[in-house]
Amino acid sequence: MPLRDFLKGFSAPRWLTPKTCRPLPLVFSQFREVLKANNSALEIIADMGEKLSGEYLFDLRYVESTVEEMITAMRRAIDAINILTEDQFVALNEVFTPMETRVRAILNKRDDRDGLSLLWLAEVETRHWPLVGGKAAHLSELLHNPKVRVPEGFVITASLFHELLDLNGIRPEFDRFEQLLSEHLPDEEALEALRLLLHEKVLHAVPPAGFLAALSDSLKKLGESCPSPLFLAVRSSAQEEDMDFSFAGQFHSVLQVPPQAETVYYAYLQVAASLFGAKAILYRRQVFPEGGTMSIAACCQRMIMAQASGIIYSVDPMEPGSQSMVVVGALGQGQAVVEGQVPTDFFRISKGEVVQVLERVIAAKHEALLPTGDADGGLEMHAIPEAQVEAPCLEDHILLELGGLALHLETFFKRPQDIEWTLDPQGILYILQSRPLLITESAQGAPRLSEKLEGYELIAADVGRVAQQGIGAGPVYWVETLADLKDFPEGAVLISHRDSSQFVQVMQRAAAIVTEVGTPASHMATLCREFRVPCLVGVPDIMSKVTPGEEITVDAEDRRIYRGRAVELLTYQATTTMDLNMAPEFRMLRRILREVSRLNLVDPLMQDFKPEGCKTFHDVLRFIHETAVLHLVDLGRDDHCFPGGLARRLDLPIQAGILAIDIGGGIAPDAPRDQIPFSAIRSIPFRAILQGMLFPGAWHQETMPVSFRDMMHSMMTTPQDTLSGQYTGHNIAIISETYVNLCFRFGYHFNIIDAFCHDVERDNHIYFRFLGGATDIAKRSRRATLIATILEAFDFSVKTRGDLVIARTGNLVQSEMERTLDILGRLIGFTRQLDVQMTDDQVVARYAEAFLMGDYGVVAEKR
Amino acid sequence: MSETNMRLLVVDDEPIVGKRLKQVFGKIGFEIETYTDSATALAAVAEKPFDIVVTDLKMEGIDGIEVLKRVRAMNPETRVIIITGYASADTAELAQEHGVFAFLAKPFRLDELKQVIYRAMETDRAK
Repeated sequence: MPLRDFLKGFSAPRWLTPKTCRPLPLVFSQFREVLKANNSALEIIADMGEKLSGEYLFDLRYVESTVEEMITAMRRAIDAINILTEDQFVALNEVFTPMETRVRAILNKRDDRDGLSLLWLAEVETRHWPLVGGKAAHLSELLHNPKVRVPEGFVITASLFHELLDLNGIRPEFDRFEQLLSEHLPDEEALEALRLLLHEKVLHAVPPAGFLAALSDSLKKLGESCPSPLFLAVRSSAQEEDMDFSFAGQFHSVLQVPPQAETVYYAYLQVAASLFGAKAILYRRQVFPEGGTMSIAACCQRMIMAQASGIIYSVDPMEPGSQSMVVVGALGQGQAVVEGQVPTDFFRISKGEVVQVLERVIAAKHEALLPTGDADGGLEMHAIPEAQVEAPCLEDHILLELGGLALHLETFFKRPQDIEWTLDPQGILYILQSRPLLITESAQGAPRLSEKLEGYELIAADVGRVAQQGIGAGPVYWVETLADLKDFPEGAVLISHRDSSQFVQVMQRAAAIVTEVGTPASHMATLCREFRVPCLVGVPDIMSKVTPGEEITVDAEDRRIYRGRAVELLTYQATTTMDLNMAPEFRMLRRILREVSRLNLVDPLMQDFKPEGCKTFHDVLRFIHETAVLHLVDLGRDDHCFPGGLARRLDLPIQAGILAIDIGGGIAPDAPRDQIPFSAIRSIPFRAILQGMLFPGAWHQETMPVSFRDMMHSMMTTPQDTLSGQYTGHNIAIISETYVNLCFRFGYHFNIIDAFCHDVERDNHIYFRFLGGATDIAKRSRRATLIATILEAFDFSVKTRGDLVIARTGNLVQSEMERTLDILGRLIGFTRQLDVQMTDDQVVARYAEAFLMGDYGVVAEKR
Repeated sequence: MSETNMRLLVVDDEPIVGKRLKQVFGKIGFEIETYTDSATALAAVAEKPFDIVVTDLKMEGIDGIEVLKRVRAMNPETRVIIITGYASADTAELAQEHGVFAFLAKPFRLDELKQVIYRAMETDRAK
């Protein structure tokens, strides 16, 4: 082979790489294998996601066995794509292995071991939660919330804790200790001896090489961003802390620590050793009688010079139904308040639309816990000047601000909150901690609940599906187009016809979400579970039953919607001791899904669309799917292997020039070999698209007058286009009974529709991509905007970039899928040559409206 | 339909099962007791009969079939529902022989269990 040809083999694009010609039925069966393996893995992922809604009862055994099934399905999909492409993507195996390892680590509860030993609070993401512990996890969530101020700082993670166990040779004792804790009747003496030993050893643990230097760097960096003098609060953040159980006051905190690495490290060791404190272990055995693993991290935050500090409960724990919040506070640092060292002021504030102070009981405050003033740090009691003793610790306007914050945090975390606050000398409020407020169930509570609720009008009962369990109440807010989201009020209930992943923008502010159509397997449902928003989907006609602004209560447990604010139900929620989302089984499943179900790889035009760009299981599956389709499309064009044999021409009343490749059940068996009539198309999604294209008036037969300038433009720009390689060839539809992959060009634009449609709604999807045009980029972009506007109106999630439009939707019932595909067919016809007419932005709006009104003739009128 | 005073017992070695069912059925007015250990659960049944018993199948010590047998021996009126992640035709048949009311494969929708329990209550009333 001449050297030139040899080198050409390397530089050729992937789809031009010469392939061996395999028999057609074999290729198709391999392609179908890929789709099948892909779908089955996706199905398992969707199934696991659905379990998180709270509507199901599952246990750890379910999680374990399903993860095994999922990994097997993933390996099968990777094998299948390599069989189809003759090992072009063996790299996927290497990419997948670490993903599998991470998931197994979660399953084995070892995901608190690998990771950085120091993490800035601001950098903590949900995937770091096992590393940073419960308290730091909640704080990091708050740090990303613009309404809340949290003192800056970093976390010494659980990964360091494990490193210390290994480095200091106490791993065997630790393992033995956890083993004993999980025994029904452990040897108490051995347990106590181990507890003391671990406490002592951790307290004197030697740090790993380089750790103190890294800690010193972090302290220096913190010092640069904070007002001086800098002192730190080093607080515990254990694995289970502030999750299902508060562990309030069980672990050690060290306050007013000077910013030297050794001192902070020593404070950290005190915190870490308190995992083995006598009272912490006693508490742990009470709340986790079955045992379980536990590690500890520590938050190191800037100490706020406290003018006053205290606690606010977003619900009065003594009277949960009273619609009031309770504040206690004192002067100086809050530790004196939580440990009951000083008398405190008591305030009750109303929870209604306008927050008001309802009650004040001011204590005589003779002392306050304040810094010693020494460089060595520490706090001590200081006498209060006589004039201030009787004054309230908070002025009214600060009290009301605090009340507003507590309301916000309750909506944000979707549960009543127990919040630790502090006020700095400038009058700025900081949140030091926010955890679920647990209220003891009153004896007369539950059995009478149903009777109490009889007083409320039931708007809906036993309809729809639970996408996320929970109870939420608030004023109704209709979302008809995505633009409505911009004005979404705090604490409202979102009501919409369709679900949309775009709702994520308001989930932190929403009390609940109800949609008329949708499924618990949608992207929106997944997001609801992440943000803990109670959500019911598929509640018919809800929009006609509620009016914007009126208060309703959504019970996304028993699938009921009440008119008004069902206080008894909200009280009930606050008094049930179990927050499902915090249960260990749910947290494990959620962690696994985080590794698995996120989609980062969206479009093959993006640069990281390659095996190495895959970060999650879902990315791998998306890559495999796209690659398989492209492979088949290339093959369909390959005259070398299948000279004219693969594709069959359609005989349609419009000049669409489509060739179909049937991979199973897409065309009637008795159809002619060539010139297939519409009536012979059996593919459900393809038929629906064609139906739309053939809709009277949607397809314009006339050629649009292209100006000389436009013509010149298209001739000069098209060959450089990124997709020019795919502009050649035919309009090809790869179809089966339930699938269509339609790639085609009209003039100079390029379209892909990939759709799967059958009677299982969660499998159903539509992926639509549109690019290019014959005119200048401004006109083409306007057409892209037009298409995007129309698709958004039909609840597609849409991305545009210049003249590229990517839109997707799915999880729809078959009839809704067919309707949507029909609309896409009309849209293709409607916009086919429209870019020529896109002379200004007003045209875009006018045409979008015309299309939505079904006035397809507007195109011809313009001429 | 009123659930007041209906007594429900749940036994499953995974604590989440009892916790969840307590939350769900407590809310709609059942009197519910939950256990993670079948021997203690049977002791509770011996003390005062329950209308409905929901039991896991595979448990250490006394398994679900044995719980079914003993509960039915103590009080034939009690409806027993077995929930399991390992349903096989053989065990289902065995459970049928010993008068199981329903067999539910885990994981299931809580609503499904609710419907089964409502049905159990209705057959009770029909008698």
